[in-house]
Amino acid sequence: MSNAILESEAAMADGTPNHGVEQLSMQQALNRALDEVLAGNPKALIFGEDCGRLGGVFRITDGLQAKYGTGRVFDTPLAESGILGMSVGLAMAGFHPIPEVQFDGFAYPAINQIVCQIARMNYRSRGTMPMPVTLRVPSFGGIRAPEHHGESLEALFAHVPGLKVVSPSNPHEAYHLLKYAATRPDPVIFMEPKSRYWQKGGVNFDSADGSDSPAGDSPTGANVMRAGRHVTLVAWGAMVARCLQVAELAAEDGIDVEVLDLRWLKPIDEAALVASVRKTRRAVVVHEAPLTSGLGAEVAQLVTQGCFDTLKAPVERITGFDVPYPSGDLEDEYIPNIDRILFGIQRVLEYRRG
Amino acid sequence: MAEISFPLPDLGEGLIEATVLEWLVSPGDQVERNQPLVEVETTKSAVELPSPQAGKVVRIHGGPGDKINVGEPLIVFEVPDNTAGIVGTVPKEEAPKRRVRLSAVLDED
Repeated sequence: MSNAILESEAAMADGTPNHGVEQLSMQQALNRALDEVLAGNPKALIFGEDCGRLGGVFRITDGLQAKYGTGRVFDTPLAESGILGMSVGLAMAGFHPIPEVQFDGFAYPAINQIVCQIARMNYRSRGTMPMPVTLRVPSFGGIRAPEHHGESLEALFAHVPGLKVVSPSNPHEAYHLLKYAATRPDPVIFMEPKSRYWQKGGVNFDSADGSDSPAGDSPTGANVMRAGRHVTLVAWGAMVARCLQVAELAAEDGIDVEVLDLRWLKPIDEAALVASVRKTRRAVVVHEAPLTSGLGAEVAQLVTQGCFDTLKAPVERITGFDVPYPSGDLEDEYIPNIDRILFGIQRVLEYRRG
Repeated sequence: MAEISFPLPDLGEGLIEATVLEWLVSPGDQVERNQPLVEVETTKSAVELPSPQAGKVVRIHGGPGDKINVGEPLIVFEVPDNTAGIVGTVPKEEAPKRRVRLSAVLDED
């Protein structure tokens, strides 16, 4: 690895840090974040299927192998158990692996390595063997892909002690959250909303805080993306943009919607969630994953616990259905659409006790 | 821009070739996924082949009456670099459409 480290120091020497505000796609924002992480930490490694020479099927690692060499950015065999198994060993040896599973559905073959090793090695070793593994997972649906390319795994990972789970909703968040996640000493599942990869947005490089976001001065916790008085829409990943559209449409009908981007799905920012719903007194949680035992249930319980006395209606869940993720032609029927979310809002608005 | 070639698929069990009857698109055309591309005849039947993807047609192979073997190039598309090689399609940014209207009596207590 000494050559790789030397190469990285060379890159650091002529690397120009990012400054100011730029309009970037989420792909580009993630690429910039990874570039900075590699430049800043000679122990950081990126690998996965097609991550190296091709630059990733979504171009997230584009150009990084040319810049940092095949010792630090490389292709792996088509075996996710191997990608994550190797991450365990590299983390033990003091590296910071940033593996990619090419699509959400390909994380299943690596569940054993993620759940049985990465998530609990620190605990098992009484804190002597941390697992700084940042697993990038292009996630959720929306690109008309075939089976195993549109899964929403957040509830699965959030249920596992030892894992942190985060999903950015726009390019600015993607840049800052990935930079933050890739410098944590703990394993983080980084769920990239693949249907939002191509949408552009302002990225403010100078603040970890997101001065481009309506709120949020930290890469941890939830963000109020739009303030409102009558109902809180709780979402993450690609559903945040859709909820912001819904909020604008609801405003035409005189309903003032607050949109809370949860961002971190483990741990959930309970204080921000409760503060928002205590104000609006109604909540609708929106996710692409199936309904049963989805993260919406966790959100509903936290809201009920924290806002029981002031809630005007039971928390509504607008979600995917309890079926395997459908083929591309049917995904518009599966992913929560604007009308289904509006119906959810209508139900909490018209609910009356007794 | 990148080019993606679509070879003649196996149109039925064991068929090895097909004859072009009529091209329904021309080079330069922008086609959508599932849009009919070409009518071909096999020893079993005449079928229309739907486009496997969206893109601009760059080349078509074979004119009416020509035989094409399964696996040989049938049509070549041009696609933007950032979509080449991915599974699925880049979602379109569409103006939000709605049918549901909200109505509520808000007792602001």
